[in-house]
Amino acid sequence: MKLITRYNRVNLLTTVVVMLITGIIYYQAISLILISQLEKDLVVEENEIFDYVSLNHQLPQVFKSNDQQITFTEAEPGSVKREFINTVYRNNDNVKYAKRHHHHHDDDDEFETGRGLITSVTVGNKYYKVLVVVSTVEAEDLIKIIFGITAGVILLLFVTLYVTNRLLLNRLWQPFYDLLKELRLFNITDNKDIPLEKTNIDEFEELNQAIIGMSTRVKSDYKELKTFTENASHELLTPIAVINSKMDTLIQTDTFTQKQSKLLNDLYSAVSKLTRLNQSLLLLVKIENRLLESNEHINLKQHIEELLIQFEEIFLDKGLKVTTDLLEKEVVASTYLIDILLNNLLGNAIRHNRVGGEIRIKLTDELLTIRNTGATGALERNEIFTRFHKSSESEGSGLGLTISRQICENLNFTLNYSYQAPYHTFTVNF
Amino acid sequence: MKILIIEDEKGLRESIEEYFTEAGNICETASNYPEAMAKVNIYSYDCILLDITLPGGSGIEILKYLKKNNNSDGVLIISAKNSLDDRLEGLDLGADDYLVKPFHLSELRARVTAIIRRKTFNGSNQLIFNEINIDLLAKTAKVNDQSVKLTRKEYALLLYFIANKGKVVSKNAIAEHLWGDGMDLANNFDFIYSHIKNLRKKLIEAGSNDYIQAAYGMGYKFTS
Repeated sequence: MKLITRYNRVNLLTTVVVMLITGIIYYQAISLILISQLEKDLVVEENEIFDYVSLNHQLPQVFKSNDQQITFTEAEPGSVKREFINTVYRNNDNVKYAKRHHHHHDDDDEFETGRGLITSVTVGNKYYKVLVVVSTVEAEDLIKIIFGITAGVILLLFVTLYVTNRLLLNRLWQPFYDLLKELRLFNITDNKDIPLEKTNIDEFEELNQAIIGMSTRVKSDYKELKTFTENASHELLTPIAVINSKMDTLIQTDTFTQKQSKLLNDLYSAVSKLTRLNQSLLLLVKIENRLLESNEHINLKQHIEELLIQFEEIFLDKGLKVTTDLLEKEVVASTYLIDILLNNLLGNAIRHNRVGGEIRIKLTDELLTIRNTGATGALERNEIFTRFHKSSESEGSGLGLTISRQICENLNFTLNYSYQAPYHTFTVNF
Repeated sequence: MKILIIEDEKGLRESIEEYFTEAGNICETASNYPEAMAKVNIYSYDCILLDITLPGGSGIEILKYLKKNNNSDGVLIISAKNSLDDRLEGLDLGADDYLVKPFHLSELRARVTAIIRRKTFNGSNQLIFNEINIDLLAKTAKVNDQSVKLTRKEYALLLYFIANKGKVVSKNAIAEHLWGDGMDLANNFDFIYSHIKNLRKKLIEAGSNDYIQAAYGMGYKFTS
């Protein structure tokens, strides 16, 4: 769930609840005020009746109006308890009323809600129950209007909040999204810093600073690691060189038995493997540091053809059938790196091939594909490009494809693997 | 030939010295910058093997000094630095070749021989070894004036053997010389064997002596 959705949900829900509660309280308060106003009117009327009775010793003339009705009924003395009631009464002045409130029924027997006061009066020796009723319709109309306005305000507030939240939050969070985008693009091997826009929100500024600090630290750690790899490999070169030269010297010394020469051969192989591994590590560091870049115009077709000639004997030896479909293609890159890339890819196609297998090379303006038959089924697509990942029977350093992919990355090419029986395919997209 | 080995690593220096020392060769060594400068100032050499990182100074400075004084000694840089820039810098400054550590002594020998050949023959492009006559420009070989048709690899192999005559050359060294980086492809050296077999056959058929001998399953020796 997006932050803004979550925020809006909570925010709006709270607003609605608070508004509803406010509305109810408001409604109750206004009702109370209006009713008490009506009751005051009723008491005034009651007093008028009392005054009239004490003055005239008879019941007052009753006028029926649309707002107010007074009825007198005889009753047992003392049977009437004074109280206010909610009641319904028949409105006789309905024509006038209907004109004002045309949504009401306009038949003669219309009932309206009213507030009544039951009281009693004694005229002479007769005891009367007095019912004074006033219409509450006006008051209710007022309440309705007030309530409508309130509801309108709530709705308006609701919409306003929603829209402003949306706009404001989107804008407020913009630095965050920018940062996120930059973080996604973050590449540890890249020498560029994360470009961060200045923001005047403290939290984001802090976040930016923290990210910058973190990336700098990570990069410097990584750089240190690379420097270490480079130095270690460098330091190893000299002893390897000594071993190599000592062995070359050793085999000049005397005659050797079968067993001794077998041992020496194994030593040679191991040293040579060590050398290659070491050189691959150094190479990888250099490629990652972009130390080997240069802009030469390279005729790829020509390069591949030359390489194929170089491998000719090996093709023959393994009985590999090589088919090519090469179009002219020029790339601007370092010859050294392109050679390594082609060497690695073609080398793999040979090394992991089976005797009597097939290699197909295709070069177009957009891509270079090298397909080969192989001893195994599909390879693990995600793992083959990682360092030191290799099949158990492989004699390689386990760095070839890592180097190849790094070279492609540096040149803004992409290197991908796919398998379609029986072909393993490596594709370089230019 | 007279060779100066400037290399601070004792083990490597001694191996090189031993490999190059034979009848007709003089090897001198220097293990640091002042010693090296002293020697190149006094003597003249056919080829100087120059390490770049030296105690007391940089091999590049020695190279600059040599070139400033129009010294005609051949210079082969042997360096642990396998970066294109270093290589180019060395060659731009007038080094004749650049070899990256670690290397096989036979490879070093072949490179040094090539440098000296270029220096001393001065335009002549004939390399003669007993009855074998090699035209270095045309890259062809003749035995007793009878031309031998060699493939590119066989020709390279023949030159390599002649440069390392009398030495046992390991199969690894041969493979790396012929195929360079692509070499980690071949764990079995069968196809080296077939190249050597073919070369040997062609030379013998043309009337040459049988110079190429297998050496205890480890490598080959070109006897003289």
